[in-house]
Amino acid sequence: MDATILAQQAINGLILGATYGLIAIGYTMVYGIIGMINFAHGEIYMVSAYLTAIFLALAQFAGITSIPATLVFVLFFTLLVTALHGWFAERIAYRPLRGSNRLAPLITAIGLSLVLQNYVRLSQGARSQGIPSLMQGSFILPIGSAGGSVQITHVQLLIIVVAFLGMAVLTFIMHRTSLGRACRATEQDLTMAALLGIDTDRIISIVFVIGAAMAAVAGVLVSLNYGSFDFHIGFITGIKAFTAAVLGGIGSLPGAMLGGLILGLSESFFSGFVNTDYKDVFAFALLVLVLIFRPSGLLGQPMVTKV
Amino acid sequence: MKGKVYGGWVLFLMVLMVSSAYAEETIAIGVAGPFTGAYAAFGAQLWRGAEQAANDINAAGGIVGKKIQLFKGDDACEPKQALAVANQLVDRHGVQAVIGHFCSSSTIPASEVYAEAGILHITPASTNPMVTERGIATLFRTCGRDDQQGSAAADFIVQKLKAQAIAVIHDKDTYGQGLADAMRAQLQRLGKKEILYEGLTRGEKDFNALVTKFKSLHADAVYFGGLHNEAGPLVRQMKEQGLKAPLVSGDGIVSEEFVIAAGGPAYADGVHMTFGRDPRKIKEGQEVVDRLRKAGFEPEGYTLYSYATLQIIAAAIEATRGTDGVAMAKWLHAHEVPTVMGPKGWDVKGDLKTSDYVMYRWNDKGTYDEVVP
Amino acid sequence: MGNKLFHPLATGFLVWILTLPISGVVLDGYFFSFHWQPPLVLALAAFLFHSGILAVRWWHSFGKLLKEKRGLGDCPQGFDFAVDQSSLSRSTRTLPKGAILMALPMIVGGVLPFFLNKYWLTVAILALIYVLLALGLNIVVGLAGMLDLGFVAFYAVGAYGYALGHEYLGLGFWSSLPLGAMLAAGFGVVLGFPVLRMHGDYLAIVTLGFGEIIRLVLNNWVSFTGGPNGVRVPGPTLPGLEFTRRAKEGSIPVHEFLGIDYSANHRIVFIYLVLFMVVLATIFLVTRLKNMPLGRSWEALREDEIACRSLGINHVTVKLSAFALGAMIGGIGGVFFAASQGFVNPTSFTFFESALILAIVVLGGLGSIPGVIIAAIVITILPEVLRDFSDYRVLVFGLAMVIMMIWRPRGLVRSVRPVFREHVR
Repeated sequence: MDATILAQQAINGLILGATYGLIAIGYTMVYGIIGMINFAHGEIYMVSAYLTAIFLALAQFAGITSIPATLVFVLFFTLLVTALHGWFAERIAYRPLRGSNRLAPLITAIGLSLVLQNYVRLSQGARSQGIPSLMQGSFILPIGSAGGSVQITHVQLLIIVVAFLGMAVLTFIMHRTSLGRACRATEQDLTMAALLGIDTDRIISIVFVIGAAMAAVAGVLVSLNYGSFDFHIGFITGIKAFTAAVLGGIGSLPGAMLGGLILGLSESFFSGFVNTDYKDVFAFALLVLVLIFRPSGLLGQPMVTKV
Repeated sequence: MKGKVYGGWVLFLMVLMVSSAYAEETIAIGVAGPFTGAYAAFGAQLWRGAEQAANDINAAGGIVGKKIQLFKGDDACEPKQALAVANQLVDRHGVQAVIGHFCSSSTIPASEVYAEAGILHITPASTNPMVTERGIATLFRTCGRDDQQGSAAADFIVQKLKAQAIAVIHDKDTYGQGLADAMRAQLQRLGKKEILYEGLTRGEKDFNALVTKFKSLHADAVYFGGLHNEAGPLVRQMKEQGLKAPLVSGDGIVSEEFVIAAGGPAYADGVHMTFGRDPRKIKEGQEVVDRLRKAGFEPEGYTLYSYATLQIIAAAIEATRGTDGVAMAKWLHAHEVPTVMGPKGWDVKGDLKTSDYVMYRWNDKGTYDEVVP
Repeated sequence: MGNKLFHPLATGFLVWILTLPISGVVLDGYFFSFHWQPPLVLALAAFLFHSGILAVRWWHSFGKLLKEKRGLGDCPQGFDFAVDQSSLSRSTRTLPKGAILMALPMIVGGVLPFFLNKYWLTVAILALIYVLLALGLNIVVGLAGMLDLGFVAFYAVGAYGYALGHEYLGLGFWSSLPLGAMLAAGFGVVLGFPVLRMHGDYLAIVTLGFGEIIRLVLNNWVSFTGGPNGVRVPGPTLPGLEFTRRAKEGSIPVHEFLGIDYSANHRIVFIYLVLFMVVLATIFLVTRLKNMPLGRSWEALREDEIACRSLGINHVTVKLSAFALGAMIGGIGGVFFAASQGFVNPTSFTFFESALILAIVVLGGLGSIPGVIIAAIVITILPEVLRDFSDYRVLVFGLAMVIMMIWRPRGLVRSVRPVFREHVR
């Protein structure tokens, strides 16, 4: 096995994994706080991909030409509007069901993802859309035997940097600020937190907003990297990201990133060295195996049954 | 949302009233395809082509004095829905002929319903060999077959591109895999063996691992059986990783959306594809092309195929003075019909007598030209 | 109150902001065109909707005010407790009424195929298949309380069991029906075994994984399953009789046997009637199981696993039996699906299908058999009725799912839990 190819596949997997990880954060935080699988999260990511293209077109229309300025413009507005979507979704589809049957929000989430998908399709048309490539060029690193080299494009590097930056900021918020403390308190015991004067409704809203914002970051980066999307992308990416969240231990922030990276790397290596046909089978089999031996994921808290 | 839905109801009631008022004087024809779902763009092509043809025929007085009325059947390219749609078209709308089903995986189950009802069924787009290989007498197509298409591509790759290490990729769907298999079969006949034969997952965007694999195997040509949604990102990632091997594909990427999905003309540049002789360039069709362009619709892909299909149905009804599917099929098997795509004739299976797959190459302006042999 | 009136305005404004980029700026290649109307229409709709809700609430509270204040006030819908009827005493008390209620759908369902055209008949068959699937999943999720997101796997096993059994072993419909059921039940046990230790959502994701693995294998193993091309399935036959215009050697077409004209409908009517019987039998089976020790231990295990185990209930057999029985019913649904479609391929067994079946079970009311049946019929017929909206079909379907769930979070028919009540006399 060639070291160059091995390194290149590792980079491929890392980038794929980083995007899974970013989206998985939305699943893991929402699950941590209200114990609910937000199946509409993949669609929020899909919406953010459309928003990226829309704001990119608007930026060009407004005459913004420098790449960093465009990036900041697009990231800012996409984040804002996607976060609003996340907030709205929680407000109309999940909050009315708070404290009710545990499976009810799961069904509204499925309904909501159908609504979002078709809303986007009806508004933007069914055809696949794309964005012009904004950043080109790549770094070439000589690795491996005899003139072999590994390349990483600027966008791919940006993905890795932003993903880890995002994780760092989020970890800081969760562990060092009063907002984070309130989040953790709500996560541990919703009723108790409410009794102690934390506005839990607000905290839950904020968690949805943070999740959506991370999905938006992923949406911007992935759109820049692959350049094309359609109203259908949320589904498959959503399932993969959810798998990543569970693999890492749902409810745990570093777990989401770790799960994403493991999933991305395993897909990449399996596809690269074994067979692309069965890469998803391998990914799911890995998940099942991990859960059989560690029933709450790699970094998850073991579930304590209260008696 | 409410306003739109309400508008939908009003429209529906109006259509119902209009259709019942004119029920006696119309010929009902179904247009089935993916009008929602990931492949809705192709459904739109089928619909616009048929719609234009119906308008043109109706403006000229209709067929045997009756006007044509079209009914939409949305299968979203799912076999389960295709069957429901087929039954709906036959039983609720009482269609007398059907244009359609885009995906071969929908056409195959639906065709059994039409055959059972004895309805003429012509698909303008399903190229899988299985469609006509099952011996249904009332089933025709106005497009080529994947085995013809696949072997045209294999000939081109081996003889023109002089490729030695050929990777064959498909999207694990009836159409894409059928095409890839046909291509592989012809490769074997030419005495070559592919270095890689694998399927990617429809709906994914990241094929970097696969591209790196091409590199590690030193592929000098890549054949992809599938649609533009996956072909776009695939070619982009190939270029980004600096792979020199050209991508060759089939008629699933005949749409300007391919350029958008690839990230711009610069990425789509140099991609080859097989497709029937560009119908927009056939002289019989110029008038129709102009009319569609004036209405703001570029008649790319299967638009004119769908137009021609309705012309063929109209011709068969005209000739047999009726809408009996078996009689029309018999007539079509024996006669050639002039269409916007030139005259068309069929063999016993219902395939076109002459197939004319040509190799095209996308250029750096986002359009495609025929590769001069 | 004045504050309340401001809310719809705020909602409308928020919706306007929210929809401005997505429906206002329509992408066209790498450029866009601006449409100012759609966001405005949507905002207006949201405003009116919110005002409507407020008006209804106001009317409601006004009516309550007239009826004097009650001590409790309005209790949120999710929280009112199950009626304390003992299921045993209920069944004896309301038997005549119950018998009528049971008989009516049976008669209607039985004569239905003679009034429907082929299109509605296929929809009815699909509805009955979903009733079966939902009844099966209801055992696992509703009664045993294990969230299964990969139920479609068993459905696929049943359908492919029939299709491949015919392809390779030449099995007919009647031998495939029990074999498909057994095969699916076997898969249920095999898949159920490793997940015994898991709870809640980990169980959900593992079952989702299993469901996807089965679909992917069916799609990729081209030499055995035909891959995406699928497998053709013959229609069902009565012994020695066939539902074709001209029969193969050695058998007689049904229409000649009965001395009636050939119609393509006969085969479908036949499938419908057989399916209808099977559904009735399944309903009977599940209702009885619910009241048997096994059913009671499913529900007990759902409520409190630790208590059950300490009382000596073997959680392994109880859980596995729920998995196996659910899977078996799903497998039967699959066999009927293959028979009615005449063609199976992996696109019919995606995760979305599992989600749909789960939606039926939850919408119907977890554990409630009549609720699940009603929900299955609603969920299958609704998209077909909405077909006339064509483009808006799925959107309206999704909206309906959200609204129905918010309106009745416990499902259409809430299952009445058997409650032990001391008879004080």
